[in-house]
Amino acid sequence: MVLSRKIALINLTKESVRVSSIPLDLRRTFLGGRGINMYLLSKVYSKTLDPLSPQNPLIFGAGLLTGTLGFGSRINITAKSPESGYLGDSNMGGDFGAELVQAGFSHLVVTGKSQKPVYLLIRDNEIEFRDARSLMGLDTVETQRRIREELGDEKIKVASIGQAGENLVRFASIHTGMKNAAGRTGMGAVMGSKNLKAVAVRGTLGITISDPKHYLRYYLSEKKKLMETKWVQALGKYGTPILFQYSNTMGFLSVRNNQWTTIGDQGYALEAEALEPYTTGMLSCFGCPAHCRHRYSITEGRYKGARGEGPEYASLGSLGTKLGNLDLEHIIYAVDLCNRYGLDTISTGSYIAWAMELYQRGFLDQEQTGVPLHWGEGEAILELLHHIAHRKGFGKILSEGSFAKKQLGKGSEAYLLDIKNFPIEMTDERLSKSFALGMATSTRGACHMRSRPSLDVLGLPEEVLKKIYGGPVSNQLSSYAGKGRMVWWHELFNAVTDSLGFCRFLTIFSSPHAPSYRQFARLIKLATGLNLSVKELKTAGERIYTLERMMLIREGLSRKEDTLPKRYFDEPVPEGPAQGEVILREAFDQMLEENYRLHGWNKNGVPKKGTLRRLGLDNED
Amino acid sequence: MRIKVDANKCSGCHLCEMVCSLSHLGIIHPERSAIRIQKDDLQTSLNTPWLCKQCKIMKCLDGEKDVPARERKKFIWSTQRAERCPFNGLNVFGEQAYHCDLCLGNPQCVKVCTSGALTLST
Repeated sequence: MVLSRKIALINLTKESVRVSSIPLDLRRTFLGGRGINMYLLSKVYSKTLDPLSPQNPLIFGAGLLTGTLGFGSRINITAKSPESGYLGDSNMGGDFGAELVQAGFSHLVVTGKSQKPVYLLIRDNEIEFRDARSLMGLDTVETQRRIREELGDEKIKVASIGQAGENLVRFASIHTGMKNAAGRTGMGAVMGSKNLKAVAVRGTLGITISDPKHYLRYYLSEKKKLMETKWVQALGKYGTPILFQYSNTMGFLSVRNNQWTTIGDQGYALEAEALEPYTTGMLSCFGCPAHCRHRYSITEGRYKGARGEGPEYASLGSLGTKLGNLDLEHIIYAVDLCNRYGLDTISTGSYIAWAMELYQRGFLDQEQTGVPLHWGEGEAILELLHHIAHRKGFGKILSEGSFAKKQLGKGSEAYLLDIKNFPIEMTDERLSKSFALGMATSTRGACHMRSRPSLDVLGLPEEVLKKIYGGPVSNQLSSYAGKGRMVWWHELFNAVTDSLGFCRFLTIFSSPHAPSYRQFARLIKLATGLNLSVKELKTAGERIYTLERMMLIREGLSRKEDTLPKRYFDEPVPEGPAQGEVILREAFDQMLEENYRLHGWNKNGVPKKGTLRRLGLDNED
Repeated sequence: MRIKVDANKCSGCHLCEMVCSLSHLGIIHPERSAIRIQKDDLQTSLNTPWLCKQCKIMKCLDGEKDVPARERKKFIWSTQRAERCPFNGLNVFGEQAYHCDLCLGNPQCVKVCTSGALTLST
């Protein structure tokens, strides 16, 4: 039974492990995954907690239904972020989360720092500390392979860091498989700071199910409905690159550090169809029927012999158009390099784009950068990736991420488009006001995954939107009306799906017909016997999001930090289908206040006492 | 009837293993499923499903007196039979082997497979 899965408190300094069960009350209130991770992190989170100190806990948390038949099987990795200096949290697919649950654990809380490089081996309720000295300096893929070889078990699943995490690059990621990443907020650097190279898991315990017969029947019927949606069918054929085409056509793509928002017809070079010659099949994360991930192989040219998985839309944008780079093969290769070094492709692209705009504007020259940082300069991009991962030359400065502002000199900060010290991504949000608001309020800094209401692009009838969101919402992408509500709804919903282990793509994201709270409640009941009503699930989402908010409040952040890069307010989109779009401050403020009101936060974005009491977060007051 | 496998199409989702163990044993336990996915997830990213081919001449029963038609309908087999199978068609976990009984005519793994890797052949 997933409810019997444990929390392991692992101290690397003492090489000690303490295992505890998860109280049912905690499951009911925080569910699992991101929710319980936040509960655990909040116990020690403070303004003075140094993200790279032994005291910062690195928390792995499988979703409540991860490893079972559901709508995904994902895991969240959470800590205070060395990239932003605030809340860190990243969600990862692949098989690792399900394997951890099969091995008897839902959550791992890793604290301390090992004296020598170490990796953890977790097998059926047992946790072992193992020497990782021979693994140091290896990339993420090679690390996984060596661990399997050492243990003589090809079924072992490993989450590891690459060279970037070892070298404490602030935006280093944690990887499992060829490309699954807990990419954002620098969780790989936290792992590196602990001298923890990898976590290897193998589980054969089995998961008992409360009502197997009805559970299987219900799952199959819901899966059938899901597979009939146009969205999942398109996703299974083209993967996330299909979104690239959409954002380019609509004009919400990041081009040359958001100086432009479309590349027009040149976009054909990077669209989903352009990937087809390289694609050799589609792959799934554990327990997913959608298979949205490309398997590729490059058989000729400069990158002949390269093969792997991906690339995703976020990486196509971040290492492609954002850098003025329209060479698809180069992007595929660069993404793979990031995956192997353990670098978040989104942040890496964003910091390089920042440097390129500084180069364009004369803040930087080749003497400082070592390479010519012209837009689209492929060789320079690769060189920088090597240098960032190894903290060499100019890469050493960029490896500090947004903390490099001081080193890059006065005025440089204006060209890093960041929110809460965390860079914006592969998109530009001046056209879609809901997307913009979601970036501003996101609890982990600029992030589309905290709320992005992709339904907004579909122009659904407003009565449908009203039914979903419980209040009036405009169906115009560039309208501000009701978007505070729309974002609020997804902020809670995504907190719930991340806590159950579900994937954005299999729940309400781009299809109104995808599973939602009602289906979640039924699956939880049939799988675990736990009765959680739709209302209780929504309240859990509120609780999780508001607790995250309270950690930001402890940092002294509030309304003034829920904002957007200056460019969004001051520079209308210069050309293309979104030409003239800009964020109006007054209308933005109204969206923000609507969002706060629905959360039960005051006008300054601080949760009200009554809200904290209602959510059982009184001690946060 | 048998289940045809197209390894190139297998997405590696493991849903087949999950529903196999769930429908037979009431537990999600990929190790105790009659189908298993061998993953080469760090190199070629190819996934290979392995399961009983429903051979007409059952080498797996060599030396046994059991009635083949009856054995075909059983899910839990002995590990000796797995050793005799020339096609690596049985999954072994602990002291038992798991044999595809075709869910007695309605294979759940085929039902759950969305990539087209598993199809029914009569």
